[in-house]
Amino acid sequence: MKGYLGEFEELVLLTIANLAAGAYGSALLRDINERANRNLSLGALHSTLTRLEEKGYITSYLGEPTNERGGRRKRHFELTSTAISALNDMKSLRDELWANAQVNLSR
Amino acid sequence: MKSPSKKNPPRLAIQLLRWWANDADIEDLLGDMEEEYAYHLGRHGKPTAQLNYIRHTFSLILSYSLKRRKQSAAYSNFYFHNTMSMIASYFKIAIRNFSKYKLFTSVNIFGLALGMSICLLALSIAVAIYRSDEHHEHKDRIHQVNTYIWNEEESKTFGSTFPAVADHMKAKYPFIEKTVKIRSGFSPEFNHHGNAISFNGYFAEASFFEVFSFPLLSGDPRTALAEPFSIVLTQSVAETLYKEEDPIGKSLETEQGTYQVTGVMADLKQTHFYFDLLTSHATYEQLVPEANLTNDWSGYRDNYLYLLVQPGTIELSLAEALAQVSATAGEFNPNHTIELESVSLSEVVPRWNLSNAIGIGWDQPSMLFFLSIGLLILLPAVFNYTNLSIARALKRAKEIGIRKVVGADKGQIKAQFIVETVLLAFLALFGAVLIYLPLKEEFLDVVFAAEVLDTSMGPAQVTVFIVFTLLVGLFAGIFPARYFSRLNPIHTMKGKASSGAASVSGIKKGLFVFQFFVSLVFIIGVGAIAKQYSYVLNQNHGFESDNVLTVPFQNIDKQVVINELRGHPDVKAVTTSSSLPGIILPYHVDVTPNALDTMTVSQVFIGEGFIDQMKMKLVWGNSQELDHSTQNIEHVLVNEQFLRSAAVFNHEQDSLSFTTADGTHCRIVGILEDFNFEPLNRMIGPIIFRQSLEQSEFALLTINSPDIRNTLNELDVIWTDIDQESRFEAAFLDDEIEASYHFLKTQIKIFGFLSALAITISCLGLLGMVAYTTENRTKEIAIRKIMGATNKSLYYLLTKDFLKLIMISALIAIPFSYVFYDKLFLYFLLRYGSGLGITEVAVSIAFLLTVGFASIYWQTAKVAHTNPANNLRYE
Repeated sequence: MKGYLGEFEELVLLTIANLAAGAYGSALLRDINERANRNLSLGALHSTLTRLEEKGYITSYLGEPTNERGGRRKRHFELTSTAISALNDMKSLRDELWANAQVNLSR
Repeated sequence: MKSPSKKNPPRLAIQLLRWWANDADIEDLLGDMEEEYAYHLGRHGKPTAQLNYIRHTFSLILSYSLKRRKQSAAYSNFYFHNTMSMIASYFKIAIRNFSKYKLFTSVNIFGLALGMSICLLALSIAVAIYRSDEHHEHKDRIHQVNTYIWNEEESKTFGSTFPAVADHMKAKYPFIEKTVKIRSGFSPEFNHHGNAISFNGYFAEASFFEVFSFPLLSGDPRTALAEPFSIVLTQSVAETLYKEEDPIGKSLETEQGTYQVTGVMADLKQTHFYFDLLTSHATYEQLVPEANLTNDWSGYRDNYLYLLVQPGTIELSLAEALAQVSATAGEFNPNHTIELESVSLSEVVPRWNLSNAIGIGWDQPSMLFFLSIGLLILLPAVFNYTNLSIARALKRAKEIGIRKVVGADKGQIKAQFIVETVLLAFLALFGAVLIYLPLKEEFLDVVFAAEVLDTSMGPAQVTVFIVFTLLVGLFAGIFPARYFSRLNPIHTMKGKASSGAASVSGIKKGLFVFQFFVSLVFIIGVGAIAKQYSYVLNQNHGFESDNVLTVPFQNIDKQVVINELRGHPDVKAVTTSSSLPGIILPYHVDVTPNALDTMTVSQVFIGEGFIDQMKMKLVWGNSQELDHSTQNIEHVLVNEQFLRSAAVFNHEQDSLSFTTADGTHCRIVGILEDFNFEPLNRMIGPIIFRQSLEQSEFALLTINSPDIRNTLNELDVIWTDIDQESRFEAAFLDDEIEASYHFLKTQIKIFGFLSALAITISCLGLLGMVAYTTENRTKEIAIRKIMGATNKSLYYLLTKDFLKLIMISALIAIPFSYVFYDKLFLYFLLRYGSGLGITEVAVSIAFLLTVGFASIYWQTAKVAHTNPANNLRYE
């Protein structure tokens, strides 16, 4: 298997892809919480982000200081090409599984 | 920028996270948290937002993310600790700064050195006292027995105990290896080449030299104090009595008996005992045979007991034993609550409050008092440093701004200033030691029994000095450090330090006023004591003291000498007395004015014509009657105070007779007006005057001579013709009285020195402040001058702020000094006539103002007189 992505890691990566330039800690947290109806903590989110960065799926950079955060800067996240291919692998695996499903999955 | 506090997330949580993160960069995390908080605050209200914030905080603290960030921060080459190399660089910068601002540095080093010198003195004495009795071999096993007595009259802890305790405990408790009974009050008088010399010592049990490790220079430590009338001398006493000879085996004659010298011990050093010589406890038992010491459970004064316990004895068993003995003592003294306590030898001095302590009885209150005087002098010097450093902010703000921009953290700026201050404090320490050494010599001469203390520079002293200096440095440096670390780099780079650092404001004013307040109180103190001194010397004591020559009789034939001296043409009159008027009276006697009560009065034996010659005033009666004493009834004179005291006893007014303790029946034939027979600081007590030539010890000669020296020589010849053994030692009564007020001179000296220190330090501070404010206002003054300001108006401008402060401190100091000196100090210590006068206060303030003005003028003149064009040119 080419690299392993956990369910939550995949969710985070896809959310980053969704938010694009606006992908930073707080925005990601809110997006995931609303979309997936979870009550995620910042600690859990940042732990995953750090792991993903260590695995080489994302890179991060600090943005400009913003007023609403008490002048503190945001850390923005971007997907790397590894992440994109891993997501594609993941998707094709899923598609394959969906296509070959013997039970009717559609509702 | 500040938002109202209710919008802010919980502070504690942020601090916790910051503290946990340590060096790790968590800016973005905090940003995320704050954004979350604001989001929840808008939707769910404050409590939910706060709760959520706290949840995020803890989740982050436990998170992998923060753990990784901390790890990477730890390996980063950019971090905020003060490493050794940083501290080395702080040193370098500090030294460069010291040499750049020489006035600042010298003012502070000098001021701190002066202030610290007194503290060093107090500390070294305290260290010496705390280290008393450390040289004894068995020091851990030796305990002093103290007695706590509570009854209707008193509730006190005594350093002494009942005489019976020693034998009782030794017989009953096997863990007590040895006891040392000591009784104070051994004061023999030896005849030494015709002069009587008196010494002070103890009666000590034979075990003294076995329990305590006092080295005997000669003699056997086990037997030295075994026999009655054996005596052990300290080295200095032995040298006084027997210059070159070996004192062992020599006998010493006293009125009580003949003592045999059995040993010579080294002079006392670092111990709570204080004696010239020791005699055996058996001597006391022989001298006072009626004292039944083994059964005496009543007298607890002057009997001291030391216990040497067996090795390995636990404290508890001693405490239990003492509790049992206390119960026994309680049976003998039914109206008293008695508790015996043991005090380990190392804790015998200093004590907080102990009555009837053996030796000098160093106590903590006086040590604390002395130390606080030292701190009172030091504090203004520390304030000087704080004031001047902050005033200098303008000069150093740019340096700090650049440091901050380059990346210095608050802690680093603080560390830099603290290192600088500590370094300065250590430089001041060298100066302080230089002042301290001669000061110590001078001071220890004045302090009673100070020769026992070892104040030489040992490791303990040096450690205490260094720790003290560190503390001074930290204390002086903390305020400037905090101030500088808070400066805003952008403002400082623009060249304006915030919060008006260059002006004299707020807390600085307070410190300033305090300095001058302390100085003024000291100066007024000098004035007050000096006034007392001159009052004492010029005051009429109530008797004639001019031209009166006093000659101690020694062993000469008194009657013969009086007759011969009277023959000299310059001698107008001769009389005798047992003690000199104006000096403390040593003799007391109990008298019984009626059959029931006794009272203690001072007695003076006088010769014929004493009253007339000394021009003392009689209120009633006739002093001639003194000559007509009969065998049964002795005629005496008393003072008015005597009658007043006697009247307390319901004494029948018409019978003027009473009985003294030795059974003499006395009749009062004259009453003297009250006057100060003793020094003026003593209350006038009841005195009886009895006529007796035998008891007289001084001849009082009224002299009227054109050439005193010649007369003295002639009198010396007359004296020596009668007796070659005794020497003619004449002194004028005036001088003798003046000498008895020596302590006042010492006080003036000490106060003078302290006030000189306080004034110097305050003026140094004033000088520094004026220097910096004028320097900062150079341009302003130049412009004022160009616009036509006169020198006078410029002086006024520069001086008025400081003048106001000095005036405020005077306003506080005057009532304070009045209450302190007039109502407390002079009242308790001196009690001479008038207290504090307006003149002293006025002179003191004038003096302070003059000194203050001089230092202000010195600086302002420099600025006011320069050409304004020069000052403006560098714009």
